[in-house]
Amino acid sequence: MIRFNKVNKWFGRDHHVLKNITLEVKQGEVVVVCGPSGSGKSTLIRTINQLEPVNDGVIIVDGITITDPKTNINKVREEVGFVFQHFNLYPHLTVLENITLAPIQVRKMEKAAAEQLGVELLERVGLLNKKDVYPAQLSGGQQQRVAIARGLAMRPKVMLFDEPTSALDPEMIGEVLKVMQDLAESGMTMVVVTHEMGFAREVSDRVIFLDHGEILEDAKPEDFFTNPQHERAKQFLRQILAPMHQ
Amino acid sequence: MNYHWDWGIFFKSTGIGQEIYLHWFITGLGWTVALSLSGWLIAMLLGTVLGVLRTLPQRSLSAIGTAYVNLFRNVPLLVQLFVWYFIVPDYLPEPIQTWFKQGLKPEISGFISVVACLGLFTAARVCEQVRTGIQALPRGQINAALALGLNPWKTYRHVLLPQAFRIIIPPLTSEFLNIFKNSSVASLIGLMDLLAQTKQTAEFTANLFEAFTLATLIYFTLNMSLMLMMRWLEKRVKVPGLISLGGK
Amino acid sequence: MKKSLLVSLAIASLFSTAQAAELTGTLKKIKESGTVVLGHRDSSIPFSYLADGSKPVGFSVDIANAIIDEVKKELGLPAIKVQYNLVTSQTRIPLVQNGTVDVECGSTTNNIERQQQVAFTNGFFKIGTRLLTKKTSGIKDFADLAGKNLVTTAGTTSERQIKKLNEEKKLGMNIISAKDHGESFLMLESGRAVAFMMDDVLLAGEMAKAKNPADWAIVGTPQSSEIYGCMVRKDDPAFKAVADRALVNFFKSGRVNASYTKWFQQPIPPKGLNMNFTMSEGLKALIAKPTDKSAEQM
Repeated sequence: MIRFNKVNKWFGRDHHVLKNITLEVKQGEVVVVCGPSGSGKSTLIRTINQLEPVNDGVIIVDGITITDPKTNINKVREEVGFVFQHFNLYPHLTVLENITLAPIQVRKMEKAAAEQLGVELLERVGLLNKKDVYPAQLSGGQQQRVAIARGLAMRPKVMLFDEPTSALDPEMIGEVLKVMQDLAESGMTMVVVTHEMGFAREVSDRVIFLDHGEILEDAKPEDFFTNPQHERAKQFLRQILAPMHQ
Repeated sequence: MNYHWDWGIFFKSTGIGQEIYLHWFITGLGWTVALSLSGWLIAMLLGTVLGVLRTLPQRSLSAIGTAYVNLFRNVPLLVQLFVWYFIVPDYLPEPIQTWFKQGLKPEISGFISVVACLGLFTAARVCEQVRTGIQALPRGQINAALALGLNPWKTYRHVLLPQAFRIIIPPLTSEFLNIFKNSSVASLIGLMDLLAQTKQTAEFTANLFEAFTLATLIYFTLNMSLMLMMRWLEKRVKVPGLISLGGK
Repeated sequence: MKKSLLVSLAIASLFSTAQAAELTGTLKKIKESGTVVLGHRDSSIPFSYLADGSKPVGFSVDIANAIIDEVKKELGLPAIKVQYNLVTSQTRIPLVQNGTVDVECGSTTNNIERQQQVAFTNGFFKIGTRLLTKKTSGIKDFADLAGKNLVTTAGTTSERQIKKLNEEKKLGMNIISAKDHGESFLMLESGRAVAFMMDDVLLAGEMAKAKNPADWAIVGTPQSSEIYGCMVRKDDPAFKAVADRALVNFFKSGRVNASYTKWFQQPIPPKGLNMNFTMSEGLKALIAKPTDKSAEQM
C-alpha cells in the first residue's frame, strides 16, 4: 500500500532529517513509528501525503508514485486521511460542517448524502450529540475524535496519525486510542506516530524505531518490546516505559 | 466674539431655482455615500485578490501584490486622483478620450475617476489587512485543508478567507470609515460631495459655523451608523474560539 | 504751507490725546499692544500674495499699508508694529470676528451675507464676471455656451450666477465647480470645459500664467460686478472711520494710480508676469466716488 525506496530529505543544507528510508506498509497493516523527539518520525509520516516534499528517493502510495512531479498530489491526498497532533479543525465551521466540507468540495457529494455520512461517522466516534457545535466548544479528546471522523469522511485507503494524543490531557487519551483501535480492527491501513507503547504493543502489527533519521528497528511488537536489537532502542524503551519520569 | 448666528440659513433660498441650502447638504451626502460605497466594493474585491496573492508561495505572484501595495499606498491620494482624472484620459485613444472628457456629463466622468481612485487606493490597504488576517491563521489550517485534498482555491475559499475576514473586521471597519473621509477628495475635480457643499454654503451665506456644525453632525451620524453596522456584522458572524485582530 | 501743517499736526495731536481716554475697540487694542494685525492671503495675485519670504505684497497690501499709516497718525504712534497673519477664504471671517486679525485686505467681495458678520471699508477694486476661453473656441458670449461644459471655481459668486442663469435661461450647460482657480484653469486647458467663468481680474491672472497667453481671450458681457473691500470688526465705527479715511486719501492723492500701474500693468514678482489689465470704468468710478456698499446695494 505504501512503499518508500531510498528516501532522503534535508532541512536546509546540513540537517539530514531522513536517511535512506526504505519501508513497506501492506494493506490492512497497522504500523507504529516511534523514536526520540527530533528523530524525524513526524517528517516521515508527512512525506506520505507530501505535506513535506522529499529531496530524493521514491514513495509509492496505492500504486501511484507520489514523488513524481507529474502526479496530481491532490488525487493521492483524497485517499490518505491525516490526523494532526493539534487536531486542526476549522474553527469557523460546526462539527458536522468540518466533516462534510471535503466530501462536498472534493468528492462532489450531494450535501444531504455528505451529511448522512457525517452523522454515521459521528455516531461511530461517539459524538453525534455534538454535531452542531463549534470545535472550540469541545474538549481536546472530542476534537481529536472529530478530526478522525473528518479524515474518515473521504473514505481513505490509508489513515495517518501524527502524534494524535500528545496534545491531550491524560484522561482524554483513552477515548481517542479506543477510536483508533476500533478503526484498526475494521481493517484500515494505518501508520501511527506515537509514544503510546500500550497501543503499539496491543494494536499494531509492526513497530518501527527511528533515530536521527534512520530506521534502526522494524519488528513485530512482541520482538521489539522484549528483544530490541539496537542499543539506542533499548535506551528509548527504558526511558519511555519507566513508570515515573524523574 | 460678535458672530451673527442664524440657524435658519439651511432653509433659505440659494437663489438658484427653488433650491434651499439644505438641498446642497442632501445632494452632497448622496455623492459622499455613492462614491464611498462604490469605491469600497472595488476595494474589497481587488484587495482580497491582492491579499491572497501576497500569501501565495509563488514568488512572482506575491511580488505583484507587493508592488501594487507599495505603489498605491505611498502615493498621496490627491496625486492619484489627479493622475486618474487629468493624466490617464489624455492617453486614451481619440474617440474614447473625447467621449470621456466631453461626451459624458462632468459629474459622471468625475464620479468614475473618483471611484476608481478611491477603490484602487483603498484596495492596497484592504490587501494588507487580508494578508495579515490570513497570516495570523495557524499553519495547521492550511495543512488540514491540503491533507483532505482541497485545492488552493478551495482552501482559500472555504478555510482561510472565512476565518481571515472574521478576524479582520475591526481593522476593516476603520478602512471603511476612512473611505468615507477620503471621498472628500472628489471636490478637487469639482464633484460636490458633502464637504464641498458645506464649504460652499459657508462661503455663500457667511454663516460658517452653522454650515460646519451641520456637516459635523452629518459625518458623526454617518460614522456612528457605519460603526454600528460593522459591530452588528461582527456579532453575527462571530464563532466561538476565533479572536479578532486589534479587537476593540 | 509749513505753518499750516504744523498747526494741523498740533491740533491733531491735541485731538488725539484728548480722545485717548475714550479710545475703544480696535484702536484701543492697537494702542495698548503697539501692534496691528493684518490678515493677508498667500496666492491672491496681484492683490495679496507671498512673492518671497513671509511678507505679503500686492495691491491690497498697499491699501493695507495706507490704512496702517492712517492708524499711526490717528494714534500718534509712528512706531506701531505690523504683524502679518495668513488667512484663507474659510478662516478670514472668523479670524476678524474673534479679534485675531484687526483688518483683512485680500480679495474679499463685499456682500450682504458677509455684512451680517463683519464690516467692510470703502471698496478698493471692482470686478466683472466674465469668460476665459481659447481664441479658437468660437465662444463670444454666455449665449454661446448652451449645451457645453463650463468650469467655475466652487464657492464663488460666479458659480451661483451661472447656475442661476443656466436654470432661468434653460441653457443646458454642464457646470463644473473646481476646487480653486488653478484647478479651474486646468479643466479649461485639458479640454474638459470650453470656458472658465470668473472675476475678470482673476482670469487675467490665470491667462498671464498660461504657457502661451496669446492663445486665450477674456470675453462676454460682465454678468455682475463685485466690489472688493477690507474687512474689519462690526460695530467698531471709530476704527472703520480711520480705515475709510485712509482709502479716501489713497484715492484722492493719486497714489492709487501708481500702485495700480505697479501691480496690474508691469511685471510683478516673483516670476515677472505682467497682468496687462487696464483699469476698468467701474474701478475709475469707485475711486472717484468711494463707497463701503456692496455692488448689489448700489
